[in-house]
Amino acid sequence: MLIGKFVPINSIIHRLDARMKIVSLIFLLVAVISTSTVYGYAAIIMVLTVIIWLSKLSLFAVLSPIRRLWLFFIVIFFMNAFFFSSDNPLFSWWIISFSGEGIRQGIKVVFNVCVVMILGNVLTLSTSPIDMTNALSSLLTPLKLLRVPVEDVAMIINIAIQFVPTILEESNMIRKAQTARGAHFESRKLREKALSFLPLLIPIFISSFRRADELSLAMEARGYRNAKRRTKKAGVPFRVLDVTAVAACFVICIIQIYI
Amino acid sequence: MNNTVHHNSTVIHGSDISFSYDFDGQLSSALTDIDIEIKKGEFVAILGQNGSGKSTLAKHFNALLPVQKGKLTVCGIDAKNQSEIWRLRRLCGMVFQNPDNQFVSSVIEEDVAFGLENYEVDRELIPDMVENALRLVGMSGYEKRSPHSLSGGQKQRVALAGVLALDPDIIVFDEVTAMLDPMGRKEILEEIHRLNKETGKTVVMITHYVEETVNADKVLLLHNGRVAGFGTPREIFTNTELMQRVGLVSPVPVRLFNDLKAEGICLKSCPLTNEELVEEICRLS
Ligand SMILES: Nc1ncnc2c1ncn2[C@@H]1O[C@H](COP(=O)(O)OP(=O)(O)OP(=O)(O)O)[C@@H](O)[C@H]1O
Ligand SMILES: [Mg+2]
Repeated sequence: MLIGKFVPINSIIHRLDARMKIVSLIFLLVAVISTSTVYGYAAIIMVLTVIIWLSKLSLFAVLSPIRRLWLFFIVIFFMNAFFFSSDNPLFSWWIISFSGEGIRQGIKVVFNVCVVMILGNVLTLSTSPIDMTNALSSLLTPLKLLRVPVEDVAMIINIAIQFVPTILEESNMIRKAQTARGAHFESRKLREKALSFLPLLIPIFISSFRRADELSLAMEARGYRNAKRRTKKAGVPFRVLDVTAVAACFVICIIQIYI
Repeated sequence: MNNTVHHNSTVIHGSDISFSYDFDGQLSSALTDIDIEIKKGEFVAILGQNGSGKSTLAKHFNALLPVQKGKLTVCGIDAKNQSEIWRLRRLCGMVFQNPDNQFVSSVIEEDVAFGLENYEVDRELIPDMVENALRLVGMSGYEKRSPHSLSGGQKQRVALAGVLALDPDIIVFDEVTAMLDPMGRKEILEEIHRLNKETGKTVVMITHYVEETVNADKVLLLHNGRVAGFGTPREIFTNTELMQRVGLVSPVPVRLFNDLKAEGICLKSCPLTNEELVEEICRLS
């Protein structure tokens, strides 16, 4: 999976309020996108290093999505390097034009995507799913003005996350059962591989619906009416640490935009 | 205080309850003319084969299914009264068969708090009530864990804690041991009996394992949606003709008692459990 699984260790990054982590992430993303100088990139790399170091996560875990997608990065790089239209190409033929700017553009795009992935990965590795859903629903609160049922959405996300391990375990079981009956999932050809997953998908769908049915019964039995008529979650106050972190990210963002 | 239920008063009273499922416009009858009376503090087992209507009946007690015909009163509340459904569900809790399909959160303490939050209990009061409920089922210290990291028996105990947190008068267990290994089954069964004795909560336990019901106060036998028998386990299991008719096999000690009798060896009274059987045999010599 591309998104990391929560690693419960005790670090400053882990202790940060999840809402503030998400907001900080957004500021940093803006900072990365608006960077254009070499110093800017160096600063971003430094910030990233400090964040990873503070999070006490292993570099291997943090970088693993990038390691897995190396092919994707090479494709992005060449797409940009070859198709970036430039005024003074080194070499040009039909729609292909190869230029120094193109190469720079390729590096920039790959760099940006990498940073986004690393930051997203640090966020998911350092935040428990529950904190994440609570944070999301609290950040989405303004959408209530647009009549989005924020509480229901949060409840749906919460339950969906809770069912992921169960369904994964089940798909493994079905897969083994079908392998035992002669199905092969190990085929190298993409088409065969895709087709072989169909018989896996159908039982999983059916059992997921049955699960949903039973779960809704269990929820009603415990007095569930709708997401609004429930005890409200506590409004956890921000601590100095949280505010400082967001402020730091905000400053980085502003500096990157104006330099 | 007209809601207080006195000891030995009836907490579940149903008469003439019938129910049909509507399956694509085709009605299939699941319950026919059920009469039932359960007293406060009793441990009642509902026993029957697959498809005999046990779950359908149980879902009537907390209004998960509507009363189509007949009359049902639970804790003094008429189950037909739509405006009282939520109060009824708080008084009559239910634990289900598949432990994986009744958790709403991947953190145990949040799952146990789910019911309390539904009843808009004050946020400040919830942590203590959750802790209390987990202590009652012997799962203190697991607050922050995920239900997925537990054994089947532990999962069902956490599910029970989620129901207990609401402090219901009646708890219905719908085949809660069906998906557990023998150890887990024993664990949960003992937990339910202990709960019934120590807190005096009325227990309705559904099962199709005859052996699990021998220590119940009463056994209700269901067969094809009808009540085939209602009485103490001894009354039910020693009635060989009745047991045969509903297609169930009596517990081993009862069968041994009958076989011994056929051989001319008469034990004083029919034993239900292995312990009683040993006692009776010892008395012989
Ligand atoms: N949702 C439904 N729709 C249609 N028919 C149903 C439905 N649920 C149960 N039935 C039918 O009603 C009858 C009684 O089912 P019920 O689930 O109450 O039996 P049960 O005694 O609980 O069985 P089990 O031991 O398998 O849990 C069965 O014939 C069943 O096929
Ligand atoms: Mg059933």
